[in-house]
Amino acid sequence: MSARNPIVYVVDDDASVRRSMTLLLKTHGYRTATFSCAADFLAFDHPRGAACLVLDVNLPGLDGPGLQDVLVRRAPAIPIVFITGHGTVPISVKAMKLGAVDFLLKPFTASDLLDAIRRALLKATAWNKEFSEGTKIRQRIATLSPRELEVFHFVARGLLNKQIATKRGTSLQTIKVHRSRVMQKMRARTVTELINLARKAGVAIA
Amino acid sequence: MTTGQKTRPKRGPKPRIAVRRRLSRAAAAAKVDQQVDEQIRISTLAMEAAIDGIFIIDAQQPFFPVTYANPAFRVMTGYDRKDILGKNYFLLYGAEADPLIVQRIRETLLQGRSFHGELLNFRKDGGKYWHLLRVAPVRDAGGNITHYVGIQTDVTTMRQREQEIKQQREELLHVTRIGKLAEFVSSLAHEINQPLTAIHSYANAAQRMLPVGEAKLCEILQYIIDDGQRAAEVIRRLRSLLKKVEPEMKRFDMNDLIIETAGLVAADAHTRHSILRTSLDETLPLVYGDRIQLQQVLLNLISNSFDAMESSRNFREVLISTARHSAGTITVVVKDSGCGIPMQDMPRLFTRFFTSKPDGLGMGLPISRSIIETHGGQFGVENNPDHGATFYFMLPVSSGEAV
Repeated sequence: MSARNPIVYVVDDDASVRRSMTLLLKTHGYRTATFSCAADFLAFDHPRGAACLVLDVNLPGLDGPGLQDVLVRRAPAIPIVFITGHGTVPISVKAMKLGAVDFLLKPFTASDLLDAIRRALLKATAWNKEFSEGTKIRQRIATLSPRELEVFHFVARGLLNKQIATKRGTSLQTIKVHRSRVMQKMRARTVTELINLARKAGVAIA
Repeated sequence: MTTGQKTRPKRGPKPRIAVRRRLSRAAAAAKVDQQVDEQIRISTLAMEAAIDGIFIIDAQQPFFPVTYANPAFRVMTGYDRKDILGKNYFLLYGAEADPLIVQRIRETLLQGRSFHGELLNFRKDGGKYWHLLRVAPVRDAGGNITHYVGIQTDVTTMRQREQEIKQQREELLHVTRIGKLAEFVSSLAHEINQPLTAIHSYANAAQRMLPVGEAKLCEILQYIIDDGQRAAEVIRRLRSLLKKVEPEMKRFDMNDLIIETAGLVAADAHTRHSILRTSLDETLPLVYGDRIQLQQVLLNLISNSFDAMESSRNFREVLISTARHSAGTITVVVKDSGCGIPMQDMPRLFTRFFTSKPDGLGMGLPISRSIIETHGGQFGVENNPDHGATFYFMLPVSSGEAV
């Protein structure tokens, strides 16, 4: 099994469920790491690469939805497949709204689980790509001088040169100079492109 | 002097005195008669005015003829005077009346004893009514039974109310039982679903790990997978069968619910030699919730309290009180004088299937707590400093009521 193979993390407090899922996933070519509680998973230093999480809803301590709350704040986020022996509609609705890939009721069939994992890994690839794009853009942003950064924020918000000049109390000419340098450093050809870059980098546009 | 005095009045006035005496004896007799007459008149009027049905049967005749029936009796039975007087008392019982009871009354009377009992009877128009009947023999100076006097009270409305309360209790018990069963099945399903998930995954992994050519083993593993699936399907169906009814949320007065619930368990309290007291905050704001579910919680706590006091030699009392906890919450407290909760049981008290009772399911408290929590409230327990335990729950007041 290659280190390139995607990793499926399993968090479930039932030892037998963990052991059997490890076996099943291994036979389907996935690497696995299992945890009996949310805290253990959070303490684990994930290697980079394609990964998804199979997460039990009912856990001692921090429960599945609680762990999801923590994980969605992290970047890049990890796609989650929920599993539960106690499915309730409100919990599943909330989990899906927060971006969960699926909500499987125990006992699920192997094909249901494998299908959900495949979808989760596709999502992981997309999210990782977005994240690395974002990282590249953030690196470009880091090269801006403080004034250029200020102008970048104004332009990203859609302000015109005149407006920016009034706000900054400088001449229109100075703003034009800053602006063209921002576009150059950010490798953006149009304002629309710049706004898109700002969004991908996660820069808040008020 | 004494003789002279004695002899002298022999003449003259003596006969006069005798006459006067005879006269006054007659007058006294007349007066007594008058008094007796008056008494009879009042007795008769009283009997006529009585709210209970009163009747008299001639005991000297073999066929129990009725010689008197007051108006209340006639109203109660629907028969008028000509239907009753001189007729066999037992014929007034409709054809549908229980013949065994009629026979019992007849035999009791023939044995010279009095009858006391509640029975169903039928009006002339066939309408049913329940009455409390007492019939006693009337004896003459020689001790011979000359008559029977009967009094009957209409207890139909009382009976109906009892019946209603009983029915209400049964319905509630049923709802509680179904609720417990649903929770039980749901917990059981969870416990079984874990190993089923594992079995499924193991068998699937084993199939993939089999070397090519092990067709027989592969087939057996498939049987394991299929049967696992079948078990899962049974559980799924059972769960959907017992799907919880959606709670019916309404604004209501917790004090009213407590008073109503106390009424339901009053008979239970009596047979368990326990006293149920309430101390309710008159200014309690309304709460918003499912009345039946919250009544289940109250009933569960009260019946637990009764159980806890079962072997108690102390004064057996359950006190339910309500109070405002804060501007936005109320507290309901159920305090008993029972055996309290052993310290080692405290942590497991709300664990499903944990019970200290020989015939307990271990579902009451977990369900009660989950009901309170789904209402956005909190549930708690502590032992009292002297004896017994106190369970309490807090509920948010209905929005618009909070100050």
